[in-house]
This record gives sequence, C-alpha cells and structure tokens, in this order.
Amino acid sequence: MTEKLLEAKNISKSFGKIQALDNVNFHLYKGKIHGLLGENGAGKSSLMNVLSGIYQPEKGSITFKGERQKKLNPELAAKLGIGMVHQEFRLIENFTIKDNLTLSKANIYINDFEDAYKKYSEIFSLSINHDSIISDLSVGEKQKIEIMKLIFNNNSIMLLDEPTAVLTPQETNQLKNSLETLSKEDEKTIVFITHKLKEIKEFTETIFVMKNGQMVAEDLKTESVKDKELITLMMGEISTSVVKKNNKKGSVKLEVENITLNSDIGGFNNLVDVSLNIKSGEILGVAGVSGNGQVELANIIAGIQTNFGGNVTIKGEDVSEKGVKARKKLNLSYIPENRLGVGLAPGVSILDNSVVREYFSASYGPHLSKNKMVNYLNLLIKEFSIKTGEPKAEISTLSGGNMQKLLMGRELISNPEVIIAAQPTRGLDVSAVEALHDLIVNQRNKGSAIMLISEDLDELFKLSDRLIVIYEGRIIKEFDIDDANTNNVGLAMAGVIE
Amino acid sequence: MNKYILSRRTVVNDLATFYSFLIGLFIAVCIGSVILLVQDQNPSNVFSLMLKLSVGSINSLSSSLNKAIPLILAGLGISIMNSVKLWNIGAEGQIFLGAIAVNLIYINTAISNPTLYIIVLLISGFIGGSICILIPAITKVVFGVNEIITTLLTNYIIIGLTIYLVNGPWKDPKSLNFPAAAYVGEEVYLPTVFGRLSTGFFVCVLFTFGAYYLKEKSVFGYEMRIAGGSAMTAVYAGINAKQKAFFAMLIGGGFAGLAGAIELLSQTHRVSIGISQGFGYTAIIVAAITGMRPIGIFLVGCLFGALTIGGAVIQTIGVSSYIADIIQASTLIGALVAQFFFTYQIKEVEDG
Repeated sequence: MTEKLLEAKNISKSFGKIQALDNVNFHLYKGKIHGLLGENGAGKSSLMNVLSGIYQPEKGSITFKGERQKKLNPELAAKLGIGMVHQEFRLIENFTIKDNLTLSKANIYINDFEDAYKKYSEIFSLSINHDSIISDLSVGEKQKIEIMKLIFNNNSIMLLDEPTAVLTPQETNQLKNSLETLSKEDEKTIVFITHKLKEIKEFTETIFVMKNGQMVAEDLKTESVKDKELITLMMGEISTSVVKKNNKKGSVKLEVENITLNSDIGGFNNLVDVSLNIKSGEILGVAGVSGNGQVELANIIAGIQTNFGGNVTIKGEDVSEKGVKARKKLNLSYIPENRLGVGLAPGVSILDNSVVREYFSASYGPHLSKNKMVNYLNLLIKEFSIKTGEPKAEISTLSGGNMQKLLMGRELISNPEVIIAAQPTRGLDVSAVEALHDLIVNQRNKGSAIMLISEDLDELFKLSDRLIVIYEGRIIKEFDIDDANTNNVGLAMAGVIE
Repeated sequence: MNKYILSRRTVVNDLATFYSFLIGLFIAVCIGSVILLVQDQNPSNVFSLMLKLSVGSINSLSSSLNKAIPLILAGLGISIMNSVKLWNIGAEGQIFLGAIAVNLIYINTAISNPTLYIIVLLISGFIGGSICILIPAITKVVFGVNEIITTLLTNYIIIGLTIYLVNGPWKDPKSLNFPAAAYVGEEVYLPTVFGRLSTGFFVCVLFTFGAYYLKEKSVFGYEMRIAGGSAMTAVYAGINAKQKAFFAMLIGGGFAGLAGAIELLSQTHRVSIGISQGFGYTAIIVAAITGMRPIGIFLVGCLFGALTIGGAVIQTIGVSSYIADIIQASTLIGALVAQFFFTYQIKEVEDG
C-alpha cells in the first residue's frame, strides 16, 4: 500500500445553498477495494461525480499518478481510465449485451470480444449469451453488464455507486467474489459505495467515511476497525439535549403483530415477524440504517402497502384488511419519508396540498368548498407559522422547512391519536428541526401514540421513550431509553447483538 | 467562464396564459401577413374582410359560433382528461362515434315528443363518445398502455367504421352514390335562434360551465388534480388514482361525442365522412393554447370558429383558406413559446 494512484485534496462543491462537499480529501491505491461509507446525502455520490469529471469542484485539486489534473471532465476521466457505475443504469435497453459493451470508442476488446466476454462472464458468473437484449435481463444481470462495460472500456479505476442496493443477498455475495477477482488478477482499483455496514466490512480493504459533506475518516483498515467506531463516525456524536420524559402513558393505541412482508423483487425490503405496540402519550423510536424495512413497516401501518402477513390494530380495531381512509377515520396520521412525491403532490397548488388529509371535510356532497379550504390553510399557516406565498402557487415554491411544516401541520392539526412520522426532519436546517421537534413533543403530551422512524440518533435519543432497532427487516433489539447509548444502539444497527 | 441555464420562475403571472395567447396571435397575424404579401395581397384588406365576413353580421357571427361548438366541446373533453395528466388525441374519432350513436338510436327508436327525442339523442352521442374511448381507458388503467397512442389509433378505426357504414349498411339509396347515411327527420333538427345560431351553442355554454365546475369546484376535480400531480400522493391520501383516470377519460370522450351529436343534429343532419373536418385535432390546439382552462377554451374556440368561417369566405377573392389554418397553428406555437418564457427564466450562473 505505497503508491497513491489518485489523490483528491480539499474538494468543495455546492449546489445553491447546499454544501455537498466541504474540503474533502480522498485517495486511492492501485488494485485495492476502497469502501466509501455514509448516510444518504452525506456526499458520496457527489464526490464520485467529481472524480469522474461530471461535476467541476469549486475548490481543490485532483492528482492522477502524481500529475495534477486541472480540468477534469468526463472525456479526460475516461482517458485516465476512471469509470463509474451510477445508481440508475445507463445501458441502452433495446441493444444487445455485445452492442452495449462495445459501444464506446474506448473499448479495447472489439477484435477478441468472444474471448474477453467468456473470461469476464465467468468472473461474474453470468450465463447469458451476448446476443441477448438488455431489457430481457434481470436487475442483477444488468448491474453485472454495467460493471463489465467499465472493464471493456479499459477503465482501471471503477467507481461503483451503491451497487448492492438492487441486488438480492445471493447476488451481493457473487458480486463480492467478482470484485475480489478483479482487484487481484486485473489490478483494478475499485471504490465501493454503500451505507450498509455489513457490506463495507465484507467487500473492502480500506474504508473512508463521509458525513454531511465532510470526510470524517480516511483510510481505516477494514480488518482492524470496529463496527461501533464506524457507526459513531457515520452517525456523529450524540448531543445531550433530551426532552423531559415525565409524560404519562395510557392504554395501547397501536398494535402490530407478526408483520411479514415478502419481496423477491429488488426495490423493497423484507419484513420478518415484526411486532410492536405503542401506548397513548408514548414515542417509540425506530432506529436503523436506511433500507432495512422501515419505510415498508410505516407504509403497512398507514395502509399503503398491502399483501402483507400479520395484523395491524388501531385503538382495538383490526384494520389489517382495510384501506387508508379507514385508518384516517380511526385518527391515524402518517408523515411519510418522501416529502414531495408522497406526502405532497408536486405540480399541485399549496392550497390543494394543504387539504390532502381532510379534503372530504371541505365538501358538501360533490361540491368542494374553496372557502373551507382557504380557512383550513390559513389555520395551518397561523398555528404552525408557515411562510407561504399565494395559495395558488405550486407547492415546490415553498422552502423545504415550510413544506415539512405544512405537511406536519396538516397531519397534526386534527389532534391524531396515532402518528407515524418517518424522517420528519431530514435535510432541514436547525431552526426548522427544533420547531418540528416541539410539535412532536406537544403531540405526545396531548396523548398521541407516536412512532418516530429516523436515521438521526440525536433525534431518536432526544424524543423517544423506548427504542427499537430494525435490521434486515427484523426488530433486532429493544431498549428502554435510559439503557440506550450510541454504543449498544449502534452495534444493534450494524446487526451485532451483545 | 459563465454559462446560462433555464430555471423555473417561483412566481408565474396569473394572466400569463392570456398574454401568451395574445403574443401567439400577434405572431400568427405577422406570419399570415408575410404569406399574404408574398401572394401580392394586402394583409389589412384580407384581414378586415375576414373579420367582416366572420363576425360582421348576425348571420356570419352565428355561423362562426356554430363552427365553434365542436371545437369547444372536444376541447373541454381534452382539458378534463388533462386534469389527470392524460392526453386525448382521439377526439376526432369520438366525434364520429358520437354521431354514429345518434344515428343508431334514431333509426331504432321513435319518440313522439321531439324535445325529449333530441335530449335522448344528445345523451346517446355523449355515451357514443365514451364508448369510443373505453378501450384506451381500460388498457391505460389495467396495463398502463400509453393513451396518446391508443386514442390516436382509435381515430383510424372509427373513421374506417364510418366509411364502412355509409358505403354499406347505412348507405342512403337516394344520395346519388354519394357515400352518406339517410338524413334524420326534421323533427330532431336542433332548433335555431337569431336566424342561424344552433341551440346546440347553449348546450355548449352549459357544458363549459359544467366542465369548469367539475375541474375547479368539485371533489372529483380535486381528486383528479392530486392523482395527476403524483400517483403516490393519491395512494397516500386514499384516492383511487386509476378510478379517477378511468372516469376522466370516459367523461372526456363523452364531451367529444356530444360534439358529434350536435354537429349531426344541427349541421350535417346525416352521418357522412364530413361530420368532422378535423375538429378533434383543432380542439387539441384550442385546449393547449388556453392551458386547459374551460372558460379560455370557450373563448378561443369561438375565435377559431370565426377564423374558420373567415378563412372559408376569403377564398372568393382568390386567397387560399389555408391562411386560417396557418394562423391557428402559428398561434399555438407562438403561445406555447411565450408560455415557456413566462414559466422559465434564463439565468446566468458561474460555471464549476
């Protein structure tokens, strides 16, 4: 581990007000597999886009084999042999495998394609003829072709952006073996991006960790680094601010029994035998690295996800077979993780979006009363101090914080008895976060049963009364908040139970 | 190095669509003038003649408004479907099937009260239009097949069906080999007022307000907007997005079918290939220019009706009637380009 093949120093890049990369240092060793770990939005993809020449950083230098690269653009990056597999595939769907692999003028196996294809399909355990059309392939197979494309285009540095997100566990295992072979036999330099701790430990030799656009750890030896150390780096230190937990708890409002969700298709996650209950006046925190089934669990409770096993009981009534509206009638509110797109409809006015929960209460038969809608919006604006423009304006004209206030206000104003809040403060600035936390605590004090799903341990420790940790679709551990600390929760999030 | 990007304006003027329309119309008149000048015609003479002959008298105004009816009704149908972000390219076929449905019911029933008979026939036309879009609606909702393709293709099927009917089973022996069905009886002609104006125009006014209410003031309209904005938000809100899309399509098709019924009962009085002269396609232009607003569709529909009449009569002085088509089409292009600049702005940003 001597020669630094590529080195990036003090890289900064911002988009509007958002600082995506803040003085980031990064380097690669020839023929090694490097892990890049971080939460969603930590800046991993931005950094990779800088290295592959797609983004031009505002500050910083990139050195390749000791030579400074002043104007790194995609063309130059390709010439230097830096290639990237993006999260969304960039294959031509109605072309054959061979066409896709030999499309670029940079490809080196045009004359001995058959031999090369045979060699690499063995490495990737791919048993498909190269005459097959891409659109006939499974997601996992497409992934393999994407990576193969980098090899065929003579890339020696391969940047893989969350390659396992779409793979089944078996395929993930295969990928691991393929990458190991590539790094050993072909001396390929590989960057493996993920937010899954287990994979970073299995796949890589050295680990870099990012958080909030900064590189918080460089070059940690995978063999010797501890899980909890990585978790702490990825999640950050826990601040001590905690709300008073002297709230009175009442009867059980939400009960979930033996929830099982089976999905063999990539795209959503399994749930295995999940049971929990939440009492009135209680906040149950749900911790876990994203993509371990939290979204699916919330969707099942809210009635959006169907075809699951097990029971959901709200205020003693079994609603497993019932839809969204029946659960709203029982006074359940759901603040979804995906603010714009699920909770709020893009392209639709602020006014229309403000009544999504209760639009039927603004109606007389088939007539929708505009006055009632406007009054409702004004009430929300006043109660939750939302800064809005014209009610007619599109929802996306609001700032992220105000959008979330509108969404939470809309879901909380009717004083719901059961609240599912998923990532309620993600991506918001400190003052908005404080305001939204106050709303949640206020609602707890009014006697709501609240399920708080978050990747932010700060938030969970501050607000929760109890904490469950979800890992690979199972509740792996439950903590009373007094017994929970970064150490034991972090380990549980990584799938390690003491 | 600086570069320029397009960014969406946060505030869009309320009257932006109206201004864009005016700009589009202005551009269209300019283009029309150039073409007329090339043909050695004086543009101001031609345009004033068009104006005089399309709106200058009660009779010509009535003709213009009669021409506007199918454009408005089909345009309203298109705008209702657009609430769920679906495009109806099949208004032409729906107009034909609306007329065919009217004739089918007329041949097979007899109602002595003429007013009641006319109402039954208009309803048949509406249902005919809905049936025309039924297959695109089902394939859209069940299989997700693109409705632009299916509604467009349905046009060819329905026009083929019309040709078959008027040359085969419905061919009128008295029509001297002209392919057309027999005339309907005078008792079901839509009565006229002020000389030529069809009472169908008042049906059209009524349906304009109906469409406005449905889109802007009703619970159904709200649910359509949310479903059109984001299918996931609709699921989250407990709105059945597919059901809304399905009914929006049937209603949209019905509006165009009604246009066919009125055209038959007030203008052609028989089924022939001349039931529609591309009304279903022009209606797309009308709906698009107005940003899918019902009241706007009514106004622009009236203007386009007048342009068609004006275009037809200036042929007498040796100017091709296509000048009217050119104006209609360039108004759309001009208006859409203008609309774009009302919605977006060009911004200078620092590169890198």
